[in-house]
Amino acid sequence: MDTMSPIERALRAVALTLVVVFFMFPIFWIFLMSFQTNETILSIPPSIVFSPTLSNYAALITGKLQTAAGTLDIAFMRNLGNSIFLSVTSVAVALVLGVPAAYAFARHKFKGSEDIAFTLLSFRFAPPLLVLLPLTQYFQWLGLSNTYFGLIWVYQLICLPLILWIVRGYFEDISADVEYAYRIAGHSWFATFRKIALPLAGPGIAAAGLLAFIFAWNNFVFALVLASADKQPVTVGALAFITSSGIQYGQIASAIVLSVTPTLALALYAQRYLVEGLSLGAVKG
Amino acid sequence: MYEKEKDLISAFLRGEVDRRGMLKGLGAAGIAAGSAGTLFNMMSTQALAADFDWKAHSGKSLKLLLNKHPYADAMIANLQAFKDLTGIEVTYDVFPEDVYFDKVTAALSSGSTEYDAFMTGAYMTWTYGPAGWIADLNEWIKDPAKTNPNYNWDDFLAGVKNSCAWNGQPGGALGSEDAKQWCIPWAFEQNNITYNREMFDKAGVELPKNLDDMIAVAAKLQKDIGGIYGIGVRGSRSWATIHPGFLSGYANFNQKDLNVSADGKLSAAMGTAESKAYHAKFVQMIQESGPKDWSTYTWYQVGADLGAGASAMIFDADCLGYFMNGGDNKMAGKLGYAAFAANPEATASTPNIWIWSLAMSNFSKDKDATWYFLQWASGPEHALFGATKMDFVDPVRQSIWKDEMFREKLNGKYPGYVEMFDASAAGASIKFTPQPLFFDVTTEWAATLQKMVAKQVPVDEGLDQLVESINRQLKEAGLG
Amino acid sequence: MASTATLRKPASGFRISRKMLPYVLSLPALLVCIGILIPFFTAVIYSFQRYRLSQPWARQFNWGENYLNFVTDPAFWNTLKVSLLYAGITVTLELLLGLGIALLLQRRSTINNFISIMLLLPLMIAPALAALMWKLMTNPSFGILSYLASLVGLHDFRWASSPDTALLTVILVDIWVYTPFIMILLLAGLRSLPTQPFEAAALDGVPRSFVFFRITLPMLTPYILTATLFRLLDSIQQFDIIYAMTQGGPGNTLTVFQVEAYLNFFQSTNVGRSAALLIILWAITYTLSNVFIKNWLRLRERARGEA
Repeated sequence: MDTMSPIERALRAVALTLVVVFFMFPIFWIFLMSFQTNETILSIPPSIVFSPTLSNYAALITGKLQTAAGTLDIAFMRNLGNSIFLSVTSVAVALVLGVPAAYAFARHKFKGSEDIAFTLLSFRFAPPLLVLLPLTQYFQWLGLSNTYFGLIWVYQLICLPLILWIVRGYFEDISADVEYAYRIAGHSWFATFRKIALPLAGPGIAAAGLLAFIFAWNNFVFALVLASADKQPVTVGALAFITSSGIQYGQIASAIVLSVTPTLALALYAQRYLVEGLSLGAVKG
Repeated sequence: MYEKEKDLISAFLRGEVDRRGMLKGLGAAGIAAGSAGTLFNMMSTQALAADFDWKAHSGKSLKLLLNKHPYADAMIANLQAFKDLTGIEVTYDVFPEDVYFDKVTAALSSGSTEYDAFMTGAYMTWTYGPAGWIADLNEWIKDPAKTNPNYNWDDFLAGVKNSCAWNGQPGGALGSEDAKQWCIPWAFEQNNITYNREMFDKAGVELPKNLDDMIAVAAKLQKDIGGIYGIGVRGSRSWATIHPGFLSGYANFNQKDLNVSADGKLSAAMGTAESKAYHAKFVQMIQESGPKDWSTYTWYQVGADLGAGASAMIFDADCLGYFMNGGDNKMAGKLGYAAFAANPEATASTPNIWIWSLAMSNFSKDKDATWYFLQWASGPEHALFGATKMDFVDPVRQSIWKDEMFREKLNGKYPGYVEMFDASAAGASIKFTPQPLFFDVTTEWAATLQKMVAKQVPVDEGLDQLVESINRQLKEAGLG
Repeated sequence: MASTATLRKPASGFRISRKMLPYVLSLPALLVCIGILIPFFTAVIYSFQRYRLSQPWARQFNWGENYLNFVTDPAFWNTLKVSLLYAGITVTLELLLGLGIALLLQRRSTINNFISIMLLLPLMIAPALAALMWKLMTNPSFGILSYLASLVGLHDFRWASSPDTALLTVILVDIWVYTPFIMILLLAGLRSLPTQPFEAAALDGVPRSFVFFRITLPMLTPYILTATLFRLLDSIQQFDIIYAMTQGGPGNTLTVFQVEAYLNFFQSTNVGRSAALLIILWAITYTLSNVFIKNWLRLRERARGEA
């Protein structure tokens, strides 16, 4: 790989540039829109020249939205808080439950292990709508509707299978010999799990946790159906800018920018783990 | 304090002085408009309280499910008046319109006791009513012990009020003798023309007088102005495409969605020669002068284009045109309004209407207290507050339309709006046949229109297929 | 944290706990999910009923009628066709593209790491909101993409509003949103591959294409399968993007399973038909994942055997 010809180097650079342009241009455009009023966004033809305004962000943060039909109260910051709380808690719960289970499936071939693993995965492919309808009724009876507890439980449908299956693959990649050696030295399985397996699977856990976080963050149908307005995440909250007196594109754009920020921060932070932990191949036989 | 002023307001509330006289008197007394409003609310609260025990449910609490909408905003702005009047505590959940009805369906279908009352459209009650999710409000409206004497049920526009009443029989006439009042109209939309006055002047065209004329005017506008399209109508794959301009014009030709036979069986009625001619013209109009990406057009795109000056006129809800004439829209202040009768032989416009209404959940734990809220929210005092101070258009009470301040507000900023309303209010009602398959029929109808506009299927053939498919579904559901 | 008691456990107790251990480890996860099975079975029952919320009096078991009706219903066959076509095209393209990008970013460097995180941005925007933004960007009057298209001569490109290009447009948005998902999984996989085989191949002067097809690709296959499986399951259940952009139109161009089922439930309140549609969708995904997981396990076994 070190013997790259200049032509190949150039081709790679061109390809990478195209990729970045394709994926980043809409983001860039949304970012620009977040500093524009609706009037400049809806100009014909679209223009890149505009005088930037912070009014969209001000509206989101203060919770006062000016529209053609007067001032509207919006709860965007509360929605953002809900999103953070729901996603963080759900992923944390899914990690606590999912990582040991993934380890069990990777390390121990036990009776029914594949069946249990498959059952857990199968929750991922039940269409959410299918379980959601009866679930509203059961939640009503159990008193779980409109509680964070109920929501976090349902969010496990998104997070748990993802974590379980990705982390399992990483555990299986770790040579059992290393753990064996440590065990023979007189350490408990728990110590082995904590000191050897977990750190080695770190990148896998980081990647799976990050993806689970993103999918939890992007979900909205669960909260919409199962909880009242004060527990809604940003995905529902941002739809409030589609008002009958017009779609507030500027505010939606800034809502997207604000809602992406925590996830991006998390990804940039987790990136360190991805890089550090990726010496995994060296451990392998 | 303010004794003289209080007397003046009391006189107004008793009907001895008209509104203008009262406001003049207050102005002379040096009361600023803001405090006059507060004073007025306080006094009307007292007047209401005089004849009726508004405190009967004091200390109770209610929860509402609301759509993010100017009507809801107007109510929330005035909500303290209700709390003061009744001593009832009110909380509410507001959901964005995009997902609002999904939330309502989810809450009601699970039998949730969380919400006591909610906003709805009349079409939706054709599902909610038979499903047993909402209460027949006649029980309260007709009970003088539960409804305050100033409520004045007869003040509601008859066509609008009746459109919210249905006997639950598939195909049963709206507002019949045995009809149940599933919801109370709050404010409604008539489908007529809103147009860009500058563009009309520039192209030198008159307001269209019928459908053929509309096709010609739209085409001329598109050609002469340049860079715009002639006419905005909705086109997404949804009931929302059928119910505004399209159905209003269709009904003007005396065409119906469904036939009801003597024994109560339903069958599709879009297969007539008149219907085919109407469809063909409407499709031609969209192809020639509609938005390029018409099939994705919802309320928002139709409005945004008009407001931004990308279209010359719309055949859609009057209050959509109303909203686009204000705010930060580029064309604010440049729009005009007119009634439209598609059929050259028709004497007047017969718009189909959308009615934002209030309904009572059957799972409410205290229906009498809920009714206190409903009668206040749909009562004359709040209607006047909403119409004059907020954007509560179109009001459903005749008395509001007679209110001079309201007419003046409209005439000043919304030229032609009052005339438009007066010309079509008499013919305004829901033109659909009430039945449980409403959304199946209209969604498929919209999909068929999309195919016709995209030239995937000729108009005649498309309608024949539609009729066949709807008849099959009606039979399957035991209605045909 | 590990208590001294566990460390000094007698051998016999150790063996018992070793046998039970995997169950103890996986049971909590299973329990959390098991509650969801009850609503699942309730939905299965619904699918065997004539059940419209707006006609509660007519509710009764009609056994297979909801399913039998599908056989003669052209709308259903269209739904099946569109769903499979959509899933097939998006997953194939995203896999190729995702693999390509992962290969471009394989070398560990600060810039590559940074790019790989930035490329995740489309995935971080909720698909429903992303679709709204795409709808604006493809609007013929205000849309930047329409404008750019007109600059290169595409004056009448109608994006999601024409039956000819609607599928193409939603696939484009799907690729934009979800390719990063495959990219990041494959990138993590590529970087975790053992280095020895590649070093050996480089020493022997083995051609690069041979290395790619005979070493990289086979070793990467488990990762590819995992990524494809998750993407396929999501893609065949696509809802957000299609619903936000076209509501299934124009005509019946994009009435995929979840859009149909959603409209059937929330608008028509035809619970029976909606549930039956979703059960069929579930059966399809179940079968697909079975095939995938069998292969995945087989490959894992083989890889371990070789190691």
